[in-house]
Amino acid sequence: MIKSIELKYSLRMLLKKPLFTALTILIVAIGLGLTVYSFSLLNSLVFNPLHLNKNSQVMALEAQFDHNHLLRMGADPYHVNLAAEQLGIFSEYGYYTEDTTFIGGTSSKHSALFNAKKMNATYTSWNIFSFAGVNPIHGRGFLPEDFAEGAEPVVVLSYEVWQDYFGGDPAIINQELALDAEPGRIIGVMPEGFVFPQHAQIWQPLRDSTVNPTKASYTRLYAFARLKDNVDLTAAQTALDGFTKELATTIEENFKWRIAENGKYLTVQPYKQAAITQYYNIFIALLVVVFLILLLACINVSNLLLARVNERIKEVAIRIALGIPRKKLVVQMLWESVVICVIGGALALLFAAYGIELTNQMFNQTFAVNDQKPFWWTLTVDGQGLMILVAAVVVMILVTGLFPAIKALNNDFNAVIRDGTRGALGKRAATTGKVLVISEIVLSCVVLVLATLLLSTGYFASQADYGVKTDNRLTAQLQLPPEKYPVRRATDFEYQDRVTRANVYYDIKAALESMPNFKAAAMMSQLPGTGEGTSYFEIEGRAAEVYNENPYSNNEVIARGSWDALGMKIIQGRGFDHRDTEDGVFNLIINESIARDFFPDGDAVGKRIRRVGRNGASDTWNIIVGVVSDTYHGSTMRSSSASYNSYHPNDNIGMMRTYVAVHYTGDEKDAIAALTQAVSNVDPDVGIYHVQSYDNLIQQPMMLLLSVSKIFLFCGIIAVTLAASGIYAMSANNIIQRTQEIGIRRAMGAPDKKIMQMFLKQAGLQLTIGLALGIAMAVALSSYMSNTIVINPESYGLALIGIPSLIIFMVLIATFIPTRTVLQLEPSDALHYD
Amino acid sequence: MKKNSNNSSINNSDGNNALVSLNALDKVFYTDDIETHALDKIDFSINKGEYISISGPSGCGKSTLLSILGLLDTPTGGQFVLAGHDVTTLDKDERAKIRNEKIGFIFQAFNLISDLTIEENVELPLSYRSDISKLERRKMVKDALAQVDMSHRANHFPSQLSGGQQQRVAVARAIAGKPDILLADEPTGNLDSKNAGAVMELLDKLHANGATICMVTHDPRSASRAGRIVEIFDGKLVADRQSETPNAIAV
Repeated sequence: MIKSIELKYSLRMLLKKPLFTALTILIVAIGLGLTVYSFSLLNSLVFNPLHLNKNSQVMALEAQFDHNHLLRMGADPYHVNLAAEQLGIFSEYGYYTEDTTFIGGTSSKHSALFNAKKMNATYTSWNIFSFAGVNPIHGRGFLPEDFAEGAEPVVVLSYEVWQDYFGGDPAIINQELALDAEPGRIIGVMPEGFVFPQHAQIWQPLRDSTVNPTKASYTRLYAFARLKDNVDLTAAQTALDGFTKELATTIEENFKWRIAENGKYLTVQPYKQAAITQYYNIFIALLVVVFLILLLACINVSNLLLARVNERIKEVAIRIALGIPRKKLVVQMLWESVVICVIGGALALLFAAYGIELTNQMFNQTFAVNDQKPFWWTLTVDGQGLMILVAAVVVMILVTGLFPAIKALNNDFNAVIRDGTRGALGKRAATTGKVLVISEIVLSCVVLVLATLLLSTGYFASQADYGVKTDNRLTAQLQLPPEKYPVRRATDFEYQDRVTRANVYYDIKAALESMPNFKAAAMMSQLPGTGEGTSYFEIEGRAAEVYNENPYSNNEVIARGSWDALGMKIIQGRGFDHRDTEDGVFNLIINESIARDFFPDGDAVGKRIRRVGRNGASDTWNIIVGVVSDTYHGSTMRSSSASYNSYHPNDNIGMMRTYVAVHYTGDEKDAIAALTQAVSNVDPDVGIYHVQSYDNLIQQPMMLLLSVSKIFLFCGIIAVTLAASGIYAMSANNIIQRTQEIGIRRAMGAPDKKIMQMFLKQAGLQLTIGLALGIAMAVALSSYMSNTIVINPESYGLALIGIPSLIIFMVLIATFIPTRTVLQLEPSDALHYD
Repeated sequence: MKKNSNNSSINNSDGNNALVSLNALDKVFYTDDIETHALDKIDFSINKGEYISISGPSGCGKSTLLSILGLLDTPTGGQFVLAGHDVTTLDKDERAKIRNEKIGFIFQAFNLISDLTIEENVELPLSYRSDISKLERRKMVKDALAQVDMSHRANHFPSQLSGGQQQRVAVARAIAGKPDILLADEPTGNLDSKNAGAVMELLDKLHANGATICMVTHDPRSASRAGRIVEIFDGKLVADRQSETPNAIAV
């Protein structure tokens, strides 16, 4: 009953000031909404362990992440098997690697597969389904005999492929299906939604010799594993580090590259985390930013309630004088927080759910072209998210309710009742006020600087000049079927195989260029704007003492006559022609930046360079035959991107896969149809997939980062609003509480100018402290992010000059206006201000 | 002694020696549609070296009058002449300068700034004057604190002092700049009788040394210590008389 009276009183007080109440609830809702949203995001993507129907979580076991190329690296199964056997830390493990397989073809019994379809194929060891604890709904999973050398190629279909291409027909089990133009057999269909290990559409067996090699090899496989019950993650990694140390002493010379410079090789980490290694720091930064925003919201709400307490200080004093127990008073003040935070929490849930919905749409859009969204990247607000919301609401009630209540109770009520004035702001209260303003400055500085850095970097990357023309350009990936275009290294067929593979691309190129839709076609291993990563090269006669003091460049393989389609130009020397196609000839073309920086006398053509690495230099010298205009490979916002590029003729390599870019006229849809047709005309078994515009292709690697940038933008807008309103409210409250002091100073003859200067000076001191701390924290966090993304100087300039300037402006305005308002009072009114 | 309860225009000072001269001074407050005459055609002057008390019931306008005398508030009508200068229509900065150089304030609630030490509080009005060097300022602070016998607490904060001590510091702050007139608003209102007596003695001493003092009080015993007692009722000056027992101990 008592509580009900207190609740009614609190509701009446809140309804009395609807604007204040609405504003406070909104701040709470935004702070909590962002918290629940980011928790749900990170929980789904990283923190919530993947269990897959078993008690222990799934781990990723692979080689150390390659930060130079931003790539996950597979490990040699020989070493993994050895480690597993020696260390005994895994209860079970298996291997996989991801690739593409074209299924069907002109001879297919299923009309949907007359044109071979590209599938995300997972080549795996036989235990994958038992590891996941999931059985096929039709047919069977893999058996050890499927992995034997010479066994018939078999395939297990995902539910979605079964539905989309086979009409959900259960009779397809044991039917034949062409796999990369070779006969194979369907042996099973997995349940709906099962795409483990990441985004598999079909599963095919690895060969036994691949997963159980008898010696070290160049094979790279990823492994999924579960640790034994008594082994934790740290202990497992320590054991693997010990194994690597041992291995380093015995490993053969030609496989020493497996062990990284820092001595690391095999790593074990939570499965979800491994999938976003390059983004992990950014997600953590996001979490920090959201936490800071929640703090900002807490401070703002506390301050609003505190200002309200100050307004009601006389009423509180009278209640105490009338004998209200302090506990009851605290409860009554807590009720207001309860009402505000509970309603805010409910709204927060709606905000979070909406944000999650938008993010899911964004992820679907991001992976629309390659269909490679990891299966756990579907966000929901789950039970844990709700728990976090409830916990955050409780904490917020305590912070925003108890703090003002305690402050109110610590007042000198006798003085308040006796003369009706508050007196000058007490030292402790003044210090609290200053600390709150500084906190607002620090928090808003960190959030805004980080948001600006990411947004600005994303913007500059999207506007970057990649050195190629992207308008009216279509791109696609081409893939040769291995059975038809074999790679028989170190045999008599090696050269001829290479020529055959190279020629099919030239045939396709010629077919494309003969069509009316297309002006020119280019083929390159990775087109400018994509691809990334560099390796060192040595200029003949100018080798550095240590390999990594040599210059480095990105290396691409290109078909002859590809420059025009991309808008690239030969600047010196010549392009590739028949002189570069002979066996044993290894010519290359460098880009303008390399020529300018390393051959400043313009004498690059004719010079020889060769690749060099930690384990020595290549035996093959490449002769520079030309210099081509600059392009940029990889997104400008990724640390692995390169402005130094070297190009090798495809005739020397005979790529199994390549990108094709065509410069088309007319309608894009017609161009897509013509591109597909031209490839099919040359060889229907050549796969073509990921057909998209060049602009889209360049944006693809940045999409996740740009999406995260948008979240940061939203956080930034919220932070600006919270910071501006918070700083203003905080400063205004502090200044208004010092009205009487201002009156005293004016009575002593202080000119208004001097008082204004005094407050601006104090604001300046708070700004100095706040900005120094804020900038230091922001720089530390941004450097934490910058091992993944390149933050350009313009962005740093904008963030580190623009944001502090904005905050300085906000603080000065927040000081100037309330001070001027108080100074507009007559000194006598200020002296008796209540 | 002159006494005229029907006429608000009473002036018993020597016009040639007048430090303060108010002519038909009005102060009207407007709240919504209500017009309140806080001061109504006040004619009044204070001579140099005079010790005057203004008394009357609560809400009669005595504090408003003191605020106008201290240039803390502006009159709605009439004229205010201070030390021969018409200060009725001065701008804010000119008023601040006069407050700083010619007027010293003593408030009921002491109004010391809690973040400043005793020494800094006393120095505060001097710090707004550009014609005094830092060295000179220090000496003036030291002298003022010595006059109120508070030198030993110079580095303390107001919260570390008793009410009586705080008011003595407030007196030191008021006299430090050697103002033409001291304005005291209920200077003993927040003090016990012992401390009140000590503060009144301090004012007596200052007056004896030549200070001009104008004190607002509703305590008849404090009022009677002044040489001249002015009474206000409903914004009108209703009595202006010489005290019968000036400088008596008010206990």
